[in-house]
Amino acid sequence: MSERPVHELIRELSQVLVQLSDKVLENFFHALHAIKHQDEQSARQIRLVDEEIDIAEVNLEERCLAFLALQQPVARDLRTIVTIIKINDDLERIGDLAVHIIDRMPEISPGMLDSFDFENMGVHAGEMVKKSIQAFISKDRTLADQVCALDEEIDVMHRSIFKRVTMLMKSPDSPVDELIATLSISRYIERMADHATMIAREVIYLVTGEIVRHQEGFYDKLIESLKE
Amino acid sequence: MVMTADVKETSSGVSAQKATRDIYLPPARKKITGGGTPHIVAREFSIYYSEFEAVKKVSADILSKYVTAIIGPSGCGKSTFLRSINRMNDLIPNCHTTGALLFDGQDIYGKYTDEVLLRKKVGMVFQKPNPFPKSIFDNIAYGPRLHGVSDKKTLADIVERSLRKAALWDEVCDRLDKNALGLSGGQQQRLCVARTLAVEPEVLLLDEPTSALDPKATAKIEDLIQELRGSYTIMIVTHNMQQASRVSDYTMFFYEGVLVEHASTAQLFTNPKDSMTEDYITGRFS
Repeated sequence: MSERPVHELIRELSQVLVQLSDKVLENFFHALHAIKHQDEQSARQIRLVDEEIDIAEVNLEERCLAFLALQQPVARDLRTIVTIIKINDDLERIGDLAVHIIDRMPEISPGMLDSFDFENMGVHAGEMVKKSIQAFISKDRTLADQVCALDEEIDVMHRSIFKRVTMLMKSPDSPVDELIATLSISRYIERMADHATMIAREVIYLVTGEIVRHQEGFYDKLIESLKE
Repeated sequence: MVMTADVKETSSGVSAQKATRDIYLPPARKKITGGGTPHIVAREFSIYYSEFEAVKKVSADILSKYVTAIIGPSGCGKSTFLRSINRMNDLIPNCHTTGALLFDGQDIYGKYTDEVLLRKKVGMVFQKPNPFPKSIFDNIAYGPRLHGVSDKKTLADIVERSLRKAALWDEVCDRLDKNALGLSGGQQQRLCVARTLAVEPEVLLLDEPTSALDPKATAKIEDLIQELRGSYTIMIVTHNMQQASRVSDYTMFFYEGVLVEHASTAQLFTNPKDSMTEDYITGRFS
């Protein structure tokens, strides 16, 4: 049976979401690169791209709302549209985090950044977003579970940076403002991983119809299931 | 979201609330008190037209005072199943059944079942409004008269009560003596509901009751179903899946005579368990 127009539209909305995720991720990596190299020109470009992301997010949400009103989807179609709306929101927030990173640019020196492994942390968090979107594309519950489990790795990195920054701050001549900016960047990357986890959980809802947020012991169960 | 909270007194005397999540019910669908027991029970119930098995070994419990929708493609057996509940299929030559179909624990197809009494308790409204070519009053009073009510005051009370229940009283109270065929299509259909209610049934069977009505009249019938929910066990056959999801608490999906899935409407329309149900309600059916 050939695909009906309504399902073609769902596919199109899904593709728009995937394109938005590419743009958001690219902007995020550009932000990490720009702050490392104190690249003012890139920083301006990142802000412009974020404005485009904001517009794209609103456009996609409007199209999804119109779809809900006009097509009244049910079952998997309903879950897909709801998931697109939620992931869209997560992506826009990741876009904002890229701007937050470059906002810290005047407060932090490349030397300070070099002493923290933000590139590695950023790549890990970026991978989580990529995998969560891949899980959305392929409706892959196992991959979504893997993304949820990866969040702990980023949390460990963030906690390690937090401890190190706290220790450095105890020194009397420590550059407190710069260290706070450093901690903020770690926090922004950690937040991006949180959004990737949320996207993964939304994919779990898409696949199973089950809302796994706020479930007691969800993480423990997840680790157990991945071991199996 | 329905939230409840377990409040406990801690050692410090401060109450700690642990929020727990309850099953979500749309605001319009309140839980029914005194309902929810199996009212109509089918066990391995089949309906045959000569050799053809139109409904195949259906087993299901229809819960009292809730609304159950029956959906499925044309020819899937949904109307046949509905009509079997008040033995409308008896009128079709060579139609016979196997298995059990119980109403209030009594075998509907039992040897000693009184079809007239059954049809009094299990009323039916059809796709096309079919008022008698009589006055509005006489349409409603027809059933009670047939069952022996002759007192004018009693009949007038029944007519008013039935028309009020069917949300038609305000529109027709000043012209009860006028011919029912002069009413609009939507009013005629509500009149048919009122006529069914006049004999005080326990079950209402609605066979595509709005397919011949415009959106405004459809909305009135749907509102009426919500009003009657909780007082009657209602079963509705509909091709309009949005209607099924709007008005019903439970939904049965039939395909080629088989009951594929029977679940709460919220579950069936958000996360059906059977892929065939999913394909049908999302329009992916080949």
